[in-house]
Amino acid sequence: MNDQPFPTLADLWERLRDWVRERRQHLDVFDETLVARQDNPIYLMGPMLYYFWLITVITGFLLMIWYEPTTTGAYTSIERIQHEVGAFSLPWLGGRGIALTMGGLIRGLHKYGGDALITVIFLRLWRMYFLGEYKKPGELSWMLAFLGLILAMISGITGYLLIWNQRAFWAAKVVLTVPLYFDQLPLIGGLGFGAMIAYVFLGGPAVGQATITRFYAIHFGISLVLLILVEVFFARTRRARLNMSWLPAVLFTAMLVVISIVLPAESGRRADPTRTPLPILSDWYFLALYQYVKYTPPLWAGLGPGLLIGFGMLVPFLDRSKGRRPLERPFFFVAGALAIVYFLIFTALIMFNIAVITREPPLIMVITFVILLGGLLWEVRYRRRQRAAPPAAAPARATTAA
Amino acid sequence: MGREQQVQPVDRRRFLKLAITAPILAGAAASLAPLLRFLKPNVERLKLYAPTSRDVAEGEAKVVATLSEVANPWDSKYFVFTQKYPQYTPEGFTAANVPGVVIRLPFKITLPVEWAKSIGKTPQVTESDVIVFSRICPHLGCIFNYVSNWREVTAGYGGYVPPQARQHALMACPCHLSIYDPADRQVPGRVLSGPAPRPPRTFLFEVRGQDIFVTDVEPGGIA
Repeated sequence: MNDQPFPTLADLWERLRDWVRERRQHLDVFDETLVARQDNPIYLMGPMLYYFWLITVITGFLLMIWYEPTTTGAYTSIERIQHEVGAFSLPWLGGRGIALTMGGLIRGLHKYGGDALITVIFLRLWRMYFLGEYKKPGELSWMLAFLGLILAMISGITGYLLIWNQRAFWAAKVVLTVPLYFDQLPLIGGLGFGAMIAYVFLGGPAVGQATITRFYAIHFGISLVLLILVEVFFARTRRARLNMSWLPAVLFTAMLVVISIVLPAESGRRADPTRTPLPILSDWYFLALYQYVKYTPPLWAGLGPGLLIGFGMLVPFLDRSKGRRPLERPFFFVAGALAIVYFLIFTALIMFNIAVITREPPLIMVITFVILLGGLLWEVRYRRRQRAAPPAAAPARATTAA
Repeated sequence: MGREQQVQPVDRRRFLKLAITAPILAGAAASLAPLLRFLKPNVERLKLYAPTSRDVAEGEAKVVATLSEVANPWDSKYFVFTQKYPQYTPEGFTAANVPGVVIRLPFKITLPVEWAKSIGKTPQVTESDVIVFSRICPHLGCIFNYVSNWREVTAGYGGYVPPQARQHALMACPCHLSIYDPADRQVPGRVLSGPAPRPPRTFLFEVRGQDIFVTDVEPGGIA
């Protein structure tokens, strides 16, 4: 403790370093320290994440051999990869045998591997959220996991454009028009940085060749840089890279191969800048966001997800409750459950193209408000009870009330 | 807790650290502007304010319709206006298309062309029963449609039922279900429903004999 009433800058720096040092010792990037609990599949998420990521990276490299990142050639090259590159047949399969291409198979593995990767990240985040794993000393693990989701989603949308089909083109255009509205914000709006963000990603004020080039670089770069960082982490901590027995690994690989054969990755229609498809969709993990964009004024289309990301990153510091079980921190349990329900409902609504935009937004606002208020009241009541009942009443949880 | 408690003046090590850190940080900061210019080469040197001022597109004036093609009220014709945009590739420029629609209204209205001043043009036609909209949705950039039957709008674009006075052809966007009234007397293209923040952008046009000749489109948005 210092004699000075206020901590100096150096003290704060020191404290921050201590904080990080302590978290880093308990850092779990792919659940490496939870290997013993892998008989429960929810603790298999970490190694699965790493495994699917490796599959995506390797197949991505193979696709680069045949892919052509130009507005005129992209779609054609994808079609060629899907239908021509490395054709072979399995005459003994399915009665008459089936014709396949190595290109189609690899593209399927890349696409479904990426989908599996995002799914696993989502599931792992929910596990960490509902089991309170983000609490001390897990804050840094949680923040990295959340950052991983954001980077995976950016990777997803940049990779998606590379097909240069209708869905990809309009998804890119819509997503990058959103930052333009940041220029309507007071104070910082006048500087024109919203448009700059959009233009830097697009490589100009329109979706064109520069956009493909830049998206290609970002799509490749995110994984490359992260892979190097993860490798440094493993080298320093001397932890095992893939903490998974061979059985699930083989099972997941077989699953991806079967899906790639049964349900080949789609190419859609070639991008047409003068015709917007109806309805406009995106990759499945963006669909809920698309429905949200229909409901809100465009500035909030950007601010809403921004706030959500901020909330996600700061959850470990916002949640001051003592317990780790979901029902020991009612408000955050309710908020998390509500987020899952909205994700599912919004996704379903946009897939069936249902949106009555005069009626639904106020309804949703009211429902959200009431449920969150309910969660808050529950929290207050729970805490009051905790205070009233001495910790001796629940000896198993004696440590939670210090 | 276990740390030494003496109040020390800045010791030598800390002073040297500070003396080294400051120029390193300053150097890093100084490299930010060139980094931005690497990402966006048309930003002027050290001009971080309004970094998009040089991204103005140039259009090629063209005939988009003849008067006889839109002779009756609610007649319309789609067209594509080609613009050249700066693009951050070694080639420098790219052409991008701005789809538009020419609409004949049943009455004359004042055209929303005040924006022409911002690009230094004087509009030739300011009042007309012909109006030319850009079909790029001012919301998030999708291409919206001119729907001649309002029932189709109700059925396919989110269940909006226009009031009696507006039950005529409307414009509607498939992406986020914004609906516009091309024939609103006060605000042509008024947003009737949906998240759009403003009416669609318009074109400047002239009538040369029988031809409707489009010269410029209101700047803004992403093509």
